[in-house]
Amino acid sequence: MTTICDLILRLAWSLLLAPLLPGIINKVKAWVACRRGPPVLQLYYDLAKLWNKGVVLSTLASPGFVIAPAVAWAALAGAALLMPLGPLGSAVSFRGDVLLLIYLLALARFCTAWAAMETGSAFEGMGSAREVSYAVLTEAAMIAAVLSLSVQTDSVTLVTMLTPSAGPGAVLLAAGLFTVLLAENCRVPFDDPNTHLELTMIHEAMILDHSGPPLAAILHGASLKLLLFSVLLVQAVLPMKEMSQLGAAGALAAGVLTVTVGVGLIESLLARLAFRRVPLLLTTAFLLCVFALLVAWKEVAK
Amino acid sequence: MTPGPLLLLASAALITSLAVGAWWSRMWLALIATAASAGLGAALRVLLGGGDWEWRSGFLPGGEPLHLRLDSLSAVFLVLVSVAGAAGAVYAREYWSERQYPASAPRGRAWWSVLLLSMGLVLTVSNGLHFLIAWEIFAIAGYFLVTLDNQRSAVRSAGWLYLAASHAGTMCLFAFFASLAGRTGSWDLGPMREQTNLAPLFWLALFGFGVKAGFFPLHIWLPSAHANAPSHVSAIMSGVAIKMGVYGIIRFSGWLPVPPAAGWVVIGLGAASALLGITFALAQNDFKRLLAYCSVENVGVILIGVGAALLAVTHGDAVWGRLALAGALLHVWNHGAFKSLLFFGAGSVLHATGTREMSRLGGLWRAMPWTAGLFALGSLAVAGLPPLNGFVSEWLVYLGLFDAVASKEPSAWAALPAAVMLAMAGAMAMAGFAKAGAMIFLGAPRTAATEHAHECGNWMLGPMLALAGVCVAIGLAPVLFWPAVARAVEAWHPAWNTAETTAPLVTLGTAQVMLAILFLAAVAWLWRKAHTDNLRRGPTWDCGYAMPTARMQYTSAPFAGITSGWFHWLLLPERKMRKPRGLFPEDSLRLERVPETVLERIIGPVGTAIMLASTTARRLQHGRLQFYILYVVAGWFALEFLVLSGGAR
Repeated sequence: MTTICDLILRLAWSLLLAPLLPGIINKVKAWVACRRGPPVLQLYYDLAKLWNKGVVLSTLASPGFVIAPAVAWAALAGAALLMPLGPLGSAVSFRGDVLLLIYLLALARFCTAWAAMETGSAFEGMGSAREVSYAVLTEAAMIAAVLSLSVQTDSVTLVTMLTPSAGPGAVLLAAGLFTVLLAENCRVPFDDPNTHLELTMIHEAMILDHSGPPLAAILHGASLKLLLFSVLLVQAVLPMKEMSQLGAAGALAAGVLTVTVGVGLIESLLARLAFRRVPLLLTTAFLLCVFALLVAWKEVAK
Repeated sequence: MTPGPLLLLASAALITSLAVGAWWSRMWLALIATAASAGLGAALRVLLGGGDWEWRSGFLPGGEPLHLRLDSLSAVFLVLVSVAGAAGAVYAREYWSERQYPASAPRGRAWWSVLLLSMGLVLTVSNGLHFLIAWEIFAIAGYFLVTLDNQRSAVRSAGWLYLAASHAGTMCLFAFFASLAGRTGSWDLGPMREQTNLAPLFWLALFGFGVKAGFFPLHIWLPSAHANAPSHVSAIMSGVAIKMGVYGIIRFSGWLPVPPAAGWVVIGLGAASALLGITFALAQNDFKRLLAYCSVENVGVILIGVGAALLAVTHGDAVWGRLALAGALLHVWNHGAFKSLLFFGAGSVLHATGTREMSRLGGLWRAMPWTAGLFALGSLAVAGLPPLNGFVSEWLVYLGLFDAVASKEPSAWAALPAAVMLAMAGAMAMAGFAKAGAMIFLGAPRTAATEHAHECGNWMLGPMLALAGVCVAIGLAPVLFWPAVARAVEAWHPAWNTAETTAPLVTLGTAQVMLAILFLAAVAWLWRKAHTDNLRRGPTWDCGYAMPTARMQYTSAPFAGITSGWFHWLLLPERKMRKPRGLFPEDSLRLERVPETVLERIIGPVGTAIMLASTTARRLQHGRLQFYILYVVAGWFALEFLVLSGGAR
C-alpha cells in the first residue's frame, strides 16, 4: 500500500511541477529581451483552458489521433515514475530500468510522430520526419551517456548509476546531455518553439492539427519530458551521494532551475541552426558522451 | 507422450498432407494443424524439462544410420516452425485461394508441406549427410514457394537469385560437413568441443549458414525474394526460414570449438547488419522490401547476442554471455511472431489494393481498421518499444552488452560499439515503421489504388490476431518464456548454469503490465474527454490552406530523406528527373530508386566480368580441327620445353 501511495505521490509531484519549467524559460527569455513576458504559470492556464475545450478532428484522422497522444503522455508519466529523485531514490527500480526509460521516451516519440501523420498534412509529415530522424543521433548519444555512467558505477540500475563522483568526465557528460536535452525537447538551436514558420519547425509542426484535451496532453507531456531530462542531467553530473539528504534535494532543485535558466539563456542568445547543421551538432553531442565514456573508463582502470 | 511419437505423428501428418494437399484443401489444413500441434507439443515437452530426445535407427538412408535428436536448442526453433507454419497455412487459405489461383494454390500447399517437413528434419537430424539432404530439400521447397506466381518475370528472377545464393551457401556447407566428417571420421553430429582442430571449420559454417540467415553483406537474395513471394510465403521465409541459418550458426558454434576471433567477427557482422539493414529498410518505397530489409536488421540483433555469447565463452565463461544469448534466442521467437504478423498485414494490403508502393497508398485505416491496428501493433513490437515482446529481447541483449562493458575486459571494446549501433538501429526501426504504417494506413488515399480496398476475411485476420497475441504475451509475461530459453542456452554451452543469470524478468514483466494498464487508462480517459458534444470534424487545418489535396501529403522518400542522406555513400540512390518546362508544363517526373548496393554494385559487376572473361575464353573453342591440332602441338612443345629446361623434376 505504501508503495502505491509513494508512486502516486511521486507521479503527482512531477506532473504538477512539470509545466513550471517552460514558464521559467519564457520568463528568462523575456527578461533578457527586457520584456515583461507571460506569467510563470502561463502553461497551467493554457492547459486548464485546453482541457475544457472541445476537439476539432480532421476528417482524415483515425482513432489513433486521440489514442497516440494519450499513450505518449502515459509513456512519459511512466518514465517519470522510473526516474529517481535525488535523496528520495526511486519508486520502481530494477536492473536495466534505464533501458526501459529510454525506450519509453522512444515510445512517446513514435506516438507523437504517428499522430502527426494522421491528418495527411505535409507540414506535419515534415515535422515527424525530422523528429524521428534526429532521434537516431540523440538515441546514440543517450546510450553512450548511459554506458559511461554504467562504466563509472558498474551498474545498470538508475538509482545507483546516477550517483557518480564528479570528475573530468562529468563536464563532458554534462555538455553532451545538455545538447541532447535541447534536441529532444525541441529547443533552440535545434527547433524554435516560438516560431510561426511551419517549414522550420519540428515539434510544433507535428502538433499543428491537435486541439482541446489531446493538445493539452501533448503540451503537458512535452513539459514532463523537459523535467525528466533536466532531472537526469543534474543527477548524472552532481555527486548527490556525498551530500546530506536536504542538501541533495536542494542541489537537485537548484540544478533543475539552473538547467532551465540555461535553456532560456541559450534560447535568447543563439539563433536556430540551419537544418543541415543539426546532425553535426548532434554528432558532437554523441562524441562528447563518448569522450565522457572514455574518461570514465580510464578513471576506473586506474 | 514423449517427443518421439509426437514427432512421428507430425511427420506422418505432413507426408499425408503432401499426398492429399493438391485436391483436398480442408483436409490439408487439418493435417497441417495436426502436424503443427504435434511438433509444438514435442518441442514444448523438451523445453519444459522433459529432457532431450534422441533416436538412432539401423535404417541406412544414403548409407548412413538415421540419427534424430531434439534438444532444447532445436526445440526453440521447432516451436517457431510449428506456430508460423500453421499460421501461414491458415492465412493462405484465403490469401492464395483456390478460386483466385487455381493452378498455383495446390502446388503451394504441397510445397508448404515439404518446407515444413524439411525444416523439421533440419532441426532434428544429427548426421551430416542427412542434414545436407534436408537442407537442400528445404532450399528447393523455398524456391518453389517463392516462385508460386511464376507468370511474373520479377518473381522468376527473384527466385533464381534466391536459388543461386542459396546454393553458394550450400556449397560451403558441403565443404563444412565433408571436412568435418573427414576430420572426425564419421558423419555423425553431436558435441565435439574438445577436438580443437575443428575450430577453423567455423568460418565455413558461418558463411554457409550466413547466406540463409541473410546478414549483411550476404543478404543479397533476401529483399527481392521476400518482396516478390506471396505474402504467406514471405512471412515464413522471413520469420522462420532465415532462422534456420541462425540455427546453423548457433548449433555448430555450440557443438564445435570456435576460433578465438569468432565472437569478434559475429558481433561485428551483427552490428553492421542491424544498422545497415535498417538503413536500407528505411529508404525503401516498396513496403514488402522494407519488411525484408528489416529482417536483415533483426538477424543482426540476434547475431549481436550470439557474438556476445561467443566472446563470453572465450573470455572465461562470463555470466553476461548467457543474457545476450538468451536475448538472441528470445528474439528468434519474437521476430518470427512480429515479422509474420507484419507480412500478413502487408499481404492483406496487397490483396486489397494490388500495389506494394507506399506512395500510392494512404488512408487505408477506414477500409481496413483491423489490419491497420494489427500492423500498428506489429510496428511497435518490431521497433522494440515497450510493453511488447521486441523490447524484452532487445533489453536482454542490451543487458548482456552493458555487463560486458562493465566487465572492462577486452571484449568490452566489441560490446561498446555494438550497444551504440543497436540503439541507432532501434531508433531507425522506429522511424521506418512510423513511415510504413503512416504511409499505408493514415492520411488521405494518394491514388485510386485504394478505392476498392476492403478488410480481409477471417481466415486472414485469425492468424494475425493469434500472432499479435503472442507479441503481447511475451511482452507482458516474459518470465513464462524464460525457462525454455534458459534451457536452450544451457544446451548451447552445458558449462553454463543459467540459474546465476540476473535478469529481473518478473519485475520487468510487472512493470510492463503496469505500463499497459496505464496506457489503457490514459487512452480511455482522453477518449472520453475528447468525444463529448464539443467534438467537431473538419478538413485538416494545415495552416489554413484552403484546398489541400491528397497529392500534397508527405510521401515515403522525403520522410526517409534525412537519414538516407546520411547514408548516401551506401544507398547510392538512382534519380531520374524531368523538370516542368515552359508556361504550360506537360509532364514532369521524378523517380528515385534505391538499388541493392551489394548486389548491383559489387556482385553484379564481378559477375559481368567473369562472364566476359568466360566469353573471351570460349573463342578458343570454335570447332576448327586444324587449330585444335595446333593447340595440341603447341602444348606438346611447351611440355618439351619445360622438361628440357629442367623445370619439372
